[in-house]
Amino acid sequence: MVEKLLNPIKDLITDYSFNTENEIVIHTSDFNLAKVSQYLFRDLDCELATVVATDDRFYDDRCFTIRYVYSYHKKNVFFIVENKVKERFNSLANIMPALNWYEREIRDMFGLVPLNHPDPRPLVLFPENFPPDLHPLRKDFDIKTRPEFKSYGKYDYKEVEGEGVFNILVGPIHAGIIEPGHFRFSLAGEHILQLEIRHFWKHRGVEKLAEGKTAEKVLEIVPKVSGDHSYAHTLAYVQAIEKLSNTEIPKRAKYLRVLFAELERLMCNLNDVAWLFQDVAYSFGAQGMFILKEEVMRLNKALTGNRFNKNVLKIGGVSVDLNQEKVNLIIDKLGYITDKFEFYKKIIFDSASILDRFETTGRILYETVKELSCVGYTARASGLKSDIRKEHPYLIYDKLTFTSQTFEEGDCFARLKCRLSDIEDSISIIKEVLSDLPDGEIFTQPNLLPANRWTLGYSEGQRGNIMYFVKTDKEGKIDRLKIRDPSFNNWQAIQWAVLGDIVADFPLVNKSLNLSYAGTDL
Amino acid sequence: MFRIFKERFKEGIKAEEIKIRDENVEILGKQLKEKIDKYFQGSFAIREVDSGSCNACEYEISALSNPYYDIERFGVKFVASPKHADAIMITGCLTRNMYEAVMKAYENVPNPKFVIAVGDCALDGGVFKGNYAVMDGIKDKLPIDIWIKGCPPEPIDIISGLLILLNRKFEER
Repeated sequence: MVEKLLNPIKDLITDYSFNTENEIVIHTSDFNLAKVSQYLFRDLDCELATVVATDDRFYDDRCFTIRYVYSYHKKNVFFIVENKVKERFNSLANIMPALNWYEREIRDMFGLVPLNHPDPRPLVLFPENFPPDLHPLRKDFDIKTRPEFKSYGKYDYKEVEGEGVFNILVGPIHAGIIEPGHFRFSLAGEHILQLEIRHFWKHRGVEKLAEGKTAEKVLEIVPKVSGDHSYAHTLAYVQAIEKLSNTEIPKRAKYLRVLFAELERLMCNLNDVAWLFQDVAYSFGAQGMFILKEEVMRLNKALTGNRFNKNVLKIGGVSVDLNQEKVNLIIDKLGYITDKFEFYKKIIFDSASILDRFETTGRILYETVKELSCVGYTARASGLKSDIRKEHPYLIYDKLTFTSQTFEEGDCFARLKCRLSDIEDSISIIKEVLSDLPDGEIFTQPNLLPANRWTLGYSEGQRGNIMYFVKTDKEGKIDRLKIRDPSFNNWQAIQWAVLGDIVADFPLVNKSLNLSYAGTDL
Repeated sequence: MFRIFKERFKEGIKAEEIKIRDENVEILGKQLKEKIDKYFQGSFAIREVDSGSCNACEYEISALSNPYYDIERFGVKFVASPKHADAIMITGCLTRNMYEAVMKAYENVPNPKFVIAVGDCALDGGVFKGNYAVMDGIKDKLPIDIWIKGCPPEPIDIISGLLILLNRKFEER
């Protein structure tokens, strides 16, 4: 199968090998990198899952490695193109805009220069307070380094000029109880000509923090990457560790993991719908959905003792089991939520004033989400299928039935409909899991991590798929942890979503995408 | 429209119904309201600033506005501008990139003001302490009046934290 897929580019690649059963590593020359990438991205319709750089200068190769990870949707396969880099590499962002942020991130964090990059400004480390020669993910960088706190340079924002054109600057601190990020609107009258976003205000150095720690120790950091997705992030991480250490978790643990993952998805989706209502000043619906969200959080608390189900996942299984009493509690709560949800759903489709705000607002075209490799509901609302539970099934998702619906319109309403259908999916999955929950153990002692190996871990969060890249060092500790939150791929789409809309619609567009700042900034 | 009214009358007001279920919120809330009525003429305004949290704290702070807690009925209001605030509430470790913005927000809160640190990271950075990208927490940068622990603290913890703050400031002197 792989042979056949790679046949058209067999002259361009030197060789390929299997890292694990679904991870195929492709080696090519620097010269052919663009052609190989184009073939995977356009002809095979792969999604750019992530780009990972590692500092291997102290290993055999004496250079850096950049791995472009492509997710092939039709078969359960990842193509990983390896590129050995000394100081510079050819930028592909001109032909693949999805690479734009990745390459800038690599430049900041590793000091590798992407040649001919269309936007050479710093991304993660602000020139206002980080010296330009600081590259934290290099192995010879000490994590405790704290350069003097002063201004080292200036960030150049894009300029929009013309008669009557003016700018509105928003943030980093916003009016509501939300995360910090900077938005710059350039307007002519009320209409948005350009939106420029600047993120990474909350860059906390998560990836560097993981280096040199044991897998267990990193488990304390991972839930703090993106709070509302703490479970999904941890799931992606533990799955990578279990794959590396060749640990097969018990069957009951797999079912329970799916159950808690869907509870988190349900909670996030209910919260999103509530905020969407709130932003169109439809308080009745909003408060109704907030009640349902709170019910899910209280259910979490009753099941696991934590409202976010943090600390449920362990390497080798789960730490919380369900008894009959708890199963009944879940079924009761789901019944209540389903009834109420059906009621609110009818209201939405009945009310012209709600539909009027949602429909045609914040439109993102199929071509845009495809080019930017958007994931999750952002992609699905614009007609691009994206659900890693179906593409690369993990746990027991291949046995479960769920729709993961796509819509064509790409507007706020389509994204709302995605949420609504996801809520129904989650409820039906939880019921299915509970109906054939097997007996048995929920934990198995994990095997030791092998030295000098790497793999991918992934899970479908509510916003889209979460990708983890884990590489071990010679002692079996974490050498490199690359985290890719779905928001990292999706943020750029917001700049296209608002074009032609009015500023007053921006909060709605922003909420309809509901992207994570913490997960992006790391 | 008719359906909405039908549901309204059938359901009643959610906040009242909850009294029976969540006694703690009501007891603490009532005490909080008494204090706020007495010392703040019924309105205690908070400006929430995220200085580098993972957004779980924000999730729980915004949960305070849902019908189960409805903290505004006790006189607590989250405001948009620091200039309208009596207190500044900070979540998460203090990142290098956010340092200046947080300090500006603090300076813009009129005196006298309180600083409320929320979550395990807010005080000294928590797990991020010592990292290159953070300035640890706000511990030695701002005068913290109360630290509400938890990862994240639950809504009820935040309510009781506010109550302790007001008790400490006004009653125990």
